[in-house]
Amino acid sequence: MKKISLIIAVLITLSSGSYTNGHSKEVNIFSARHYDSDIQLYEKFTAKTGIKVNVISGKDKALQKRIIEEGKDSKADLYITADAGRLGAFQAKGMFQKGASSKAIKAVVPSNFRTAYWTGIAKRARIIYYSPERISLSDLKGMTYENLADAKWKGKIVIRKSNNVYNQSLVASLIKNNGKKATAKWAKSLVANMARDSKGNDRAQILAVAAGEADLAVANTYYLALMLSGKKGPEQQAAAKKVKPFFPNQNDRGTHMNISGGGILKHAPNKANAIKLLEFLLTKEAQVHIVNNTFEYPMIDGVEPHELVAKMGLGFKQDLKTKVSSYEKKQADALEVMLAAGWK
Amino acid sequence: MEIIIKMGIKKFNIWYISSFLISLVVAIPIITVFSSFFETTSNYTSILKDTFLYDYIFNSIYLLVGVLFLTFTIGVGCAYIVSFYSFTGVNFFKWALILSFAVPAYIYAYSLTAFFENYGTAFSILKNIFGQNNYNNSIPKFDGMLGAIISISFSLFGYVYVLTRSSFHYQSQNLIELGKNLGFSKKKSFFKIILPSARPAIVAGLSLVAMETLSDFGAVSFFGLSTLTTGIYNAWISFDDLALANRLSFYLLIFIFGLFILENFSRKKAQYHSLSKGGFKSKKIIYLKGYKSFLAFSFCFAVFFLSFLFPVLQMLYWTIIFPKHFIDLNSLQLFINTILLVSFSSIVLIFFAFISNYGNRLSRSKVLEALTTFSISGYAIPGIILAVAFITFISWFDNNVIKLLGTETIKPIFIGSILGLVLVYFVRFYSLACNGIKSGYLKINYSIDESSYLHGFSKFKTFTNIHIPYLKNSIFLIGVLISIEIIKELPITLIMRPFNFETFATTAYIFASQDLLEAAAAPSLFLIFTASIFILITSRYIVRD
Repeated sequence: MKKISLIIAVLITLSSGSYTNGHSKEVNIFSARHYDSDIQLYEKFTAKTGIKVNVISGKDKALQKRIIEEGKDSKADLYITADAGRLGAFQAKGMFQKGASSKAIKAVVPSNFRTAYWTGIAKRARIIYYSPERISLSDLKGMTYENLADAKWKGKIVIRKSNNVYNQSLVASLIKNNGKKATAKWAKSLVANMARDSKGNDRAQILAVAAGEADLAVANTYYLALMLSGKKGPEQQAAAKKVKPFFPNQNDRGTHMNISGGGILKHAPNKANAIKLLEFLLTKEAQVHIVNNTFEYPMIDGVEPHELVAKMGLGFKQDLKTKVSSYEKKQADALEVMLAAGWK
Repeated sequence: MEIIIKMGIKKFNIWYISSFLISLVVAIPIITVFSSFFETTSNYTSILKDTFLYDYIFNSIYLLVGVLFLTFTIGVGCAYIVSFYSFTGVNFFKWALILSFAVPAYIYAYSLTAFFENYGTAFSILKNIFGQNNYNNSIPKFDGMLGAIISISFSLFGYVYVLTRSSFHYQSQNLIELGKNLGFSKKKSFFKIILPSARPAIVAGLSLVAMETLSDFGAVSFFGLSTLTTGIYNAWISFDDLALANRLSFYLLIFIFGLFILENFSRKKAQYHSLSKGGFKSKKIIYLKGYKSFLAFSFCFAVFFLSFLFPVLQMLYWTIIFPKHFIDLNSLQLFINTILLVSFSSIVLIFFAFISNYGNRLSRSKVLEALTTFSISGYAIPGIILAVAFITFISWFDNNVIKLLGTETIKPIFIGSILGLVLVYFVRFYSLACNGIKSGYLKINYSIDESSYLHGFSKFKTFTNIHIPYLKNSIFLIGVLISIEIIKELPITLIMRPFNFETFATTAYIFASQDLLEAAAAPSLFLIFTASIFILITSRYIVRD
């Protein structure tokens, strides 16, 4: 027994080096966006400012629940997640405080991608992928998200499940623009056009087009670049080359955009440090690091996206008419519309 | 009158009280889960709810039936072959088949997807053998419901295998000879004699499988399935829809209580069986030759390959072709963190399970027994729900009790600390520890306690000098079983852990959730490797007993 307690004592000492010790030069992040590269970025921040960054990463809603229950005693300063709708929902629960739009942040982040409570850190577009072997570019002329419901695509489209938050935000933006009734009809026709029951992640949709299971896929931009980079192996790299990106709605409001972003929590004990970190994430240095590791689009001007992302097309029209902060209000309707349409 | 009072005092001694308190502590989060749903707040239309509800229930039923069928076939099949026959490699398979315990269902799911997806590992293999072609359409796809059934089955069939095997082990040759005398064919005596006599063990194994299946979150959410567990998570945590969460947990409860009744029932039968020890004749092992030996070998090898080698090889393959992820991994720190949790939790669990069992044994109180049984149900409640319930309870307690007393908040002590993490593990795995010690205790006759008291030993001394040495093997075995569970545990660790604290499981999950299964390979391998060592240490106990 003595031996065992000794071992435990040693283990506790060994591992306690990594805990927060409550010193003031620190900032605590709850993150549902888990990129390894983000950790490297935090290390850079610490080297620059001397502020230690502590992180807990996990599932979005479970982390939110923990923050809510910890209440005033929460040590969390900053909440970072992907999808504007999630940020909006957490804001609606009153969990953020103003501060995410400091002067420095306002100066660099376009107003569509921030509110007083949270700001985008990087952008992604949800676009259409097609097989150039089976679909010619002229077939896609003037193509919109709305056109995915056209009968000519029967049995040709793949898209992931309705429980996916990126789909919920996309459909929310359609409801915002076209109304719930029209979108309900659209969803029904889209489900009729699906090549298979929805399954798999975004990358699986792109691979389905490469493999010939479908002709069109809907997925976020960074997945194709990830495959093209060879990080997923030579097979997927070759497969990605069989698929081309298409940016829809170029003749009207533009392509659907989403963000990963963060906000300062209501009871943040280190608010000033949290603002500093957000501002740092929006500097040129940090943005270059982000776009080169995650293949997202930069949030600020003057930074080029990764070369592979740039090759997919840069001059496309982004939907700046539909504010990303509006997704949250329509996400519940979006889910309802999709489920009613039989979208798995 | 005086005697009654004295008896009363005797009954409510320190053992009784501590046993009562332990069960109560374990029961609190469980009560929180169900009581918090009786508040009604709801913001969804009823049509939508019904769509959800049916989906959740039917998916859970499909999953359960599929997993039970597969684990039954594989588990009983393997147990039968290695118990009754001798063939090349049989001694190897006896313990090697248990290694499947080291692979959690979510890691199995990663491997399955990676191998069979479009342009996955299977595609690479075919391309390297037969040259460039589009093989994707001819490669079967194991995803969605089918993927979840396979992943969960291969990681859980070990329960059925181990329990059935030990039941076969003690089966008397007399029974088999009885069949022969009645002129039964081999097939008939298998279905009419061997299988029914092992039924209690099989049912006990299957009910463990069923509870783990119902509470699975990792594999099911990886495949995007909506089951009762993900449904409760979504309704409660995502939508704050307590009314729906309430209905869903009600259905989950029905499932669980059904299983409890089944399990208790089969346990009672098992005791009855073990009584008939008179005339035990160890059974004759049949030596297989030729193609029959080959068939037996092939079946066992296929199961060993699919349950253990396949996920390990897939992870190994990735680690080799993407060595960067392996090199970057801070594996020593992850190992220390994992072992810290494992040792801390198993000691705490065994210690308290012991006290509780001893208290039960001394008092023989029905109330205490019932409370203990109830507190054991923590095992069937999904870890993620349990963790959130724990946080909710601590927060409620802090706001309504601690704050009124005017003392400092207790939240940081319990939320986001190793202590809190270990406490939730405690609730989740208490049944494992408690039942394990209980079954050990059942083998110690009450007369031993009485003669110990007659010799002038105190209750404490009886406990330390008689019971603990007697139960040494059980303690060891349970300690290792708990350790394996904690090494694999994901959702509780994910939400309860302190800042900057990662284990093999959380690291693998984080990589997998950003679609970097290649990077998840190295921590997964370490996880499987660590758990395998624990399994190998105990394999001789598991195989023998």
